[in-house]
Amino acid sequence: MQAIDHHAWTNRWRDWHPAEKLLPAGSLLILTLILPPLSSGPLVLGSMAWATVRGAGVPARALLNVLAAPAAFLVAGVPFLAVSVHFADGLGLYWSPDGLRLALDTTVRALAAVSCLAFLTLTTPLTDLIALLRRLGIPAGLIELILLVYRLIFVFAERALTGRRAQTARLGYVRFDRSLRSVGGLASNLFQRALHQARRMEIGLAARGYTGELRVLGSERALSWPRLMMGMTLVALIGLMGEWLARGLS
Amino acid sequence: MTVSLLAILGLEYRYPGQIVALRDLNLTIERGRKLALLGANGSGKTTLLLHLNGTFQPTGGAALLDGQPARYDRRSLNHWRRRVGLVLQEPDDQLFAATVEQDVSFGPLNLGLSEAETRTRVREALEALRIAPLAVRATHTLSFGQKKRVAIAGVLAMRPELLVLDEPTAGLDAHGVTHLLSALQRLHDAGTTLVFSTHDAELAYSWADQVAVLHEGTVLAQGETTAVLENRDLLSRARLKPPLLLELAQALGVQQNGADPPSRSREVLLALLRARLRGADLQIPDR
Repeated sequence: MQAIDHHAWTNRWRDWHPAEKLLPAGSLLILTLILPPLSSGPLVLGSMAWATVRGAGVPARALLNVLAAPAAFLVAGVPFLAVSVHFADGLGLYWSPDGLRLALDTTVRALAAVSCLAFLTLTTPLTDLIALLRRLGIPAGLIELILLVYRLIFVFAERALTGRRAQTARLGYVRFDRSLRSVGGLASNLFQRALHQARRMEIGLAARGYTGELRVLGSERALSWPRLMMGMTLVALIGLMGEWLARGLS
Repeated sequence: MTVSLLAILGLEYRYPGQIVALRDLNLTIERGRKLALLGANGSGKTTLLLHLNGTFQPTGGAALLDGQPARYDRRSLNHWRRRVGLVLQEPDDQLFAATVEQDVSFGPLNLGLSEAETRTRVREALEALRIAPLAVRATHTLSFGQKKRVAIAGVLAMRPELLVLDEPTAGLDAHGVTHLLSALQRLHDAGTTLVFSTHDAELAYSWADQVAVLHEGTVLAQGETTAVLENRDLLSRARLKPPLLLELAQALGVQQNGADPPSRSREVLLALLRARLRGADLQIPDR
């Protein structure tokens, strides 16, 4: 998570207006879901990977790491789509042609869809996305919640890490039963700290005139129409090519 | 007689559960001063500071703003906190927004300022602390010293008359301390009254023009820095050590008069010491 955040804040496209990234990536995601996956999927996956690595300059390794988690779910789940169980003469497992096709479609479609989200998270700081959500009229309470969670995740991750190091230094993880005890202690300690932190943050915010609304300045970035149009043209091209390939395949 | 900016009279504060944290406490904050609240750990410094902007309401005694008893309804508190800015010791307790610029903009927007005016205030506050290049950085990527400065900028952007800082130098390295103190000095020169808590008598001696010594929830003495810190009995009662620079000045027989005597600077004292050693024809042998 920290790695994703780091790339989001340091990549070459960080200063682009978030809509320039969200609209093309979002449209590609929708295309992936409606077009036949075998033709459009690889195109989407390829173009998103290209945009992330060659365009925004995020290391390919970071992209692979992000894609690895959903890929693991696919590996675990997809084989069951490809086989079918028959009870006709005893219990039997068979590869079914329809199942194989379904498994392939699912894999390609899922990876392509995830690549759109990976592009977005790796190139756009969460603050930009939050600002965009705010403009789209998401309720303020929800946005403040996202904002605070985003900020506090790092505070608590840091504390959990230090706490674990301190426990390890006193051999807290030397055996399984000790580990359970240590993890429990750490969790209850973090819980307590979270409550204290909340109380102190309330004091800090009140000192700056908090009256129930976390208002902050928005970003001043201007939308670049040429960039947005280029992105959308790419989306249209991929859509057309996907459709054309699909006809060729069938 | 001038009316002090903020005064605490006969303050008592019990935490829920009846533990008495502060008792019989008197403190006067005069305009344009640099007041150090000096006390050992657990002497009640932070609890006292939280009374200075109305976060805690005394269970006995009173806080006086411009000579008038403070009120604790929502409107009065808002007004109070416009005038008195509070910076907590731990910056992570205070910074909530994802970027520096956003966090600093929080206070000015709460004052009801326009977006344009807020941007100006944010820029000014960041420049005052010499951290303008950090404006678009993510809060969680900052170092401790940087976070500390951002936390101060967030309060500064509201342009308080009185800036209250809880252990401002705690956790900072020597360079960070110098940097922070010179920023605070600039604010003070521009007319901001400063109150800060510390357990460091050296810091109080070299930097404050008034000191109040806290011990077990009460102020033992408040007065001009040198006068208070010369009182060895007082300091040992409060479990504090006299500042080395002051002892050095005394050993050298330097006069301690005036609000900001030259004897407070370590350069001056060291030069004096060297001259004295030469005069007495004492030589520290080279190894």
